[in-house]
Amino acid sequence: MIIDSHAHIDLAESWGWFDPPETLLPLMDEAQIDQAIVMTYRDATKPDDPATLYVQAAVERFPERFIGYIRVNPNAPGAVEAVDQAIGDFKMKGIKLHPVSYVGFPYGEATLRVIRRAAEYNAPVLFHTGDESLALPEEVAQAASLVPQARVILAHMGGYFNCEAVLQIGKELPNILVDTSAVPYPWMIRKAIDTLGIERVLFGSDGPGCLPALEVEKVRLAGLRKEEEDQVFFANIRRILAEVRHDL
Amino acid sequence: MIFDFRVFLGQSFDGTQQTTAALLSGMDDLKIEKALVCPFKPISYDLNEANTWLATQITQAPDRLVGAARIDPWHPGAIAHLRRAFETLRFRACYLDPWEESFRIDKDRLSPLMEVLQTYRAPLLVAAGFPWVSEALQVQKLAARWPEVSIVMSNGGQINISGLGQADVTLAMAVSPNLYIDTAGVYRQDFIEETVQTFGAYRVLFGSGAPIFDQRYEIMRIRLAKVSDAERTALQTENARRLIEE
Repeated sequence: MIIDSHAHIDLAESWGWFDPPETLLPLMDEAQIDQAIVMTYRDATKPDDPATLYVQAAVERFPERFIGYIRVNPNAPGAVEAVDQAIGDFKMKGIKLHPVSYVGFPYGEATLRVIRRAAEYNAPVLFHTGDESLALPEEVAQAASLVPQARVILAHMGGYFNCEAVLQIGKELPNILVDTSAVPYPWMIRKAIDTLGIERVLFGSDGPGCLPALEVEKVRLAGLRKEEEDQVFFANIRRILAEVRHDL
Repeated sequence: MIFDFRVFLGQSFDGTQQTTAALLSGMDDLKIEKALVCPFKPISYDLNEANTWLATQITQAPDRLVGAARIDPWHPGAIAHLRRAFETLRFRACYLDPWEESFRIDKDRLSPLMEVLQTYRAPLLVAAGFPWVSEALQVQKLAARWPEVSIVMSNGGQINISGLGQADVTLAMAVSPNLYIDTAGVYRQDFIEETVQTFGAYRVLFGSGAPIFDQRYEIMRIRLAKVSDAERTALQTENARRLIEE
């Protein structure tokens, strides 16, 4: 079984990325991915935001295949209410933050407010990380340290040049996890497991742009034992999702 | 036949290393017949010495390894080093790393080197996508000044896991037909596929960047790409051969 903990569906003109569910599903089939956590490229700003409704509609159409996260702009006045609707009413399972997309400091008060709200639901916070300012692991770590009750997943393991920094930070902050999406180094998955522990490494593809089949192969190349692969491919994220609550 | 257009040999100042035996063994496993090899920047920082060492390694498999001279444009002997690489060491390409050698790729200082490349009809491989020094539109300025020199941008021309560098690469390639990309570590596989669709498969080359990147994984990037068989052949074989043989 494979659960992809980081995938996208959206029609995002500003990015030039048009990936409806019909693009992602056959690539999941090709990669033998059973379920995917899906989120938009756009950042929701309020309840009933078109981005959130797009995910909600897709989850309703394909409930066996998709699990929803809300991608939200914490700077928007309606951000917390948007999270409440997504997790409380729509039963979504987590939030995605992409500080480069909405331009906001990960440790800024607006972002912390949203992270705290997610933590109240036991909902994971999937943070884009990479090699540029606003997405640096040190910046996201500051946020994670200020909300220790939140479960913060660092997508892409810090990108191309910040993987080691992510692992150093993860050693210091037990509420940090990582996903395997897009990071181009198979061996870094092994290193993440050895450094952080098997429970804190999640398979993610960042598909469909990042080819899910290729992302699966990356995990296969990491030299994991079967039981480790099972943890990374589905058991860890399944455990996290089971702990999400939908009422406060 | 598969041609890997960018691998490294030797030991880098940062400790990364690859032996010739390990490279050839890995190529055998993956059925990669040929590779364009660049030297790592050694702890001595002496690139001319590194090129000389690389030439000795190529003699171990001269039918499989093709040399790319790594040149430091700041070095007073850079032009002589490049000429020597082509005339004495029999290298076929030049590799510039603006990040590790600390220069902007669009500096006028590169003009004498580009003249040599034009004379020898040799391609230039640029470590591209590095902030401040080799972003795609900076490489494009060099390409515009030297339209007869084929310039291959490593890493798809952009190292940005947000995807924010891709539009610049597309713009650069649209403006300068002598610009190419290699595929190592490219964020979003569909960027490779869209580049093939937009500009033609002849503008994209399989380059693994091994051992910085994992050659086993990088060849999968090509094997799993949603392109036609003919396009795949161009990516992994014909384009490299054409650039080298020209």
